[in-house]
Amino acid sequence: MTTFIILVGFLLYLLLYFTYGKKIEKDVLQVSDSNETPSKKLYDGVDFVTARKEVLFGHHFASIAGAAPIIGPAVAICWGWLPGLLWVWFGNAFIGAVHDYLALMASVRYDGKSIQFVASDLMGKRTGSAFYWIVFFLLILVVAAFGAIIGGMFVRTPEIASSYAWKILAALVLGVLMYRVKMNFVAATAIGIVMLAVAIWLGTVTPIKASYGFWMWIFFFYIIIASAIPVNILLQPRDYLNSWLLYTGLAIGFIAALFTFKGFEIPAVSTFAPILLGGKPTPFWPAIPLVIACGSLSGFHSLVASGTTSKQIEKESDALPIGYGSMFTEGFLSTIVIVSIAGFGYTALKNAGVDAATLNMENWGAMFTKASASVKLSKANLFVQSYADMVSASFLGFIPVLFVKVIAGMWVASFAMTTLDTTNRLARYCVTEMAAPLKESASGLYNFMTNRWIASVIPAALGIWLAATGNWLVIWGSFGAANQLIASIALMTGAAYVAKRMKSSFVNIAVIPAWLLWVTVTAAMIWFIFNVQIAAIAKKPGPGWAVMAILVVMFVLNFVFIYDFVKSKSYKVT
Amino acid sequence: MQFSLFEFLRTVCRNIDANHRANACALTVTEVEELRNIFALLLLGSFVGLPSPPSFLAVELLPHMQKELEILHKRAQDSNDMLAEMCGILGIG
Repeated sequence: MTTFIILVGFLLYLLLYFTYGKKIEKDVLQVSDSNETPSKKLYDGVDFVTARKEVLFGHHFASIAGAAPIIGPAVAICWGWLPGLLWVWFGNAFIGAVHDYLALMASVRYDGKSIQFVASDLMGKRTGSAFYWIVFFLLILVVAAFGAIIGGMFVRTPEIASSYAWKILAALVLGVLMYRVKMNFVAATAIGIVMLAVAIWLGTVTPIKASYGFWMWIFFFYIIIASAIPVNILLQPRDYLNSWLLYTGLAIGFIAALFTFKGFEIPAVSTFAPILLGGKPTPFWPAIPLVIACGSLSGFHSLVASGTTSKQIEKESDALPIGYGSMFTEGFLSTIVIVSIAGFGYTALKNAGVDAATLNMENWGAMFTKASASVKLSKANLFVQSYADMVSASFLGFIPVLFVKVIAGMWVASFAMTTLDTTNRLARYCVTEMAAPLKESASGLYNFMTNRWIASVIPAALGIWLAATGNWLVIWGSFGAANQLIASIALMTGAAYVAKRMKSSFVNIAVIPAWLLWVTVTAAMIWFIFNVQIAAIAKKPGPGWAVMAILVVMFVLNFVFIYDFVKSKSYKVT
Repeated sequence: MQFSLFEFLRTVCRNIDANHRANACALTVTEVEELRNIFALLLLGSFVGLPSPPSFLAVELLPHMQKELEILHKRAQDSNDMLAEMCGILGIG
């Protein structure tokens, strides 16, 4: 079954790329290589430079791939393996990849301007301005969600914590070798990979055991320090090592899934509304976009696509593999995650202490979340263990299980930690932009808020405070809501572009997903606020009210967007 | 054109190498560009709207700085549209 699903996923993505993707390219966006891209039209050798599509694909994919395409599908296993997989396959192809591709092409056609600028131009200035607020809230929730995930992982598997610490050291040394000593690139890379392997091995023999609270404090200081030091010291070499982890994890996972030939241990479909977010029955629709983000649909991708990628595209036809194709690659990554947990997750749970009477095929939906929590096996750890067992069951089984487990754990932790400190840099920028109106009217407050350290501490403190509650499934749902709200605006903007600027008769390929997404996100937020967040307030009032405030503001903005979308007649060709 | 496995593999390896080289320095290149931008602003900021008098050095260099001024001017125009660019550079996925 593992082999079958991996092959079906691979072939399905290939088929949809060359049919649906090409249809959008030809009939919706009317792509033509005779149109000059901004990298040529506005070439300056600095911001606007052409890049080969293979290099741009790699950069774009590494930018959008993170921990979310792993965690989301692991959480969605609660519905059984099939519903999440269908969302990863078809939600990706018809909504998520369309969203990424439209955002990229709209930006290319607007001379490299961001999706925020395009939204301002097509739907109204306030839609563009609202981006700062939603992104700021999203960044706090990202810190909270990912901080909680890594904290849980470090407590459960101290070897991963130790490996990560050794990897930081390896990154510092690599930075010196590459940028100070200016060692030959291939030699430095080889040393870096060896140091990474040694870091993983050292982690297995020198685990760091610490409490969840301890790790929260470590993350708080790490975020602030890492986001303040020059990039060549830590961030650059660390990100370079991360890219090796990503491709290695993807390659090993693909090979293992293909050659394991294992049946699935969990039900295809458990129930429509299993016990999941906030311990409540969570309906597949509309909650699925809150649970699975990056593997299928993610608002952040529109910002990445319309950031640097659009300024470097050599010709318009490169946008399909980069925008549409990289999203499919991420979906394939999520497919590997689902396959590993479906094939080996139940065994991992039983080995962690869950017995068959507590959790079985009949009560999977009702008991999965509770059973995994009872043995303190987080979704991240469930993936890590399942992945390691899958690799062990294939012909790659000669690699020690603990070693593979730490690789998988490092994969998740590295990308999650990267997100934490980059989130802080972005949040500082958002605070500065949001405080701009105060510059003249309240200069003292403006100076305080935009102080480099204050602007760093605020989002880090808020995020870690929320993570410290330990109620990460509620935070994950809130993060999903914020992320998909941005996706909703971006897809509406893409649809508006197709309707108003392309005047394509196939406009519904963009407009229908935009409407579907808006309805789904709105329904999801209503469900989440009334069924999950209110109960979360009762359990922990402080953090509960903080998240509720964020959700309410975003919910109101959601209606502002649809009003602007309809008012500007962005849903039809005019 | 005949398909050559050797050429295909060579292209794949070249692409992988190019990818890794780009990954290894993307952030650093951006930081260097930002530092150059700051230096250019300090030197030539008065020519793009910053309220600082041009230095003797800036006036001396002016005839040779057309490209830099164009880039500076463009960046000044785009300065309130930086969110997506930062997301792209930092790789917030």
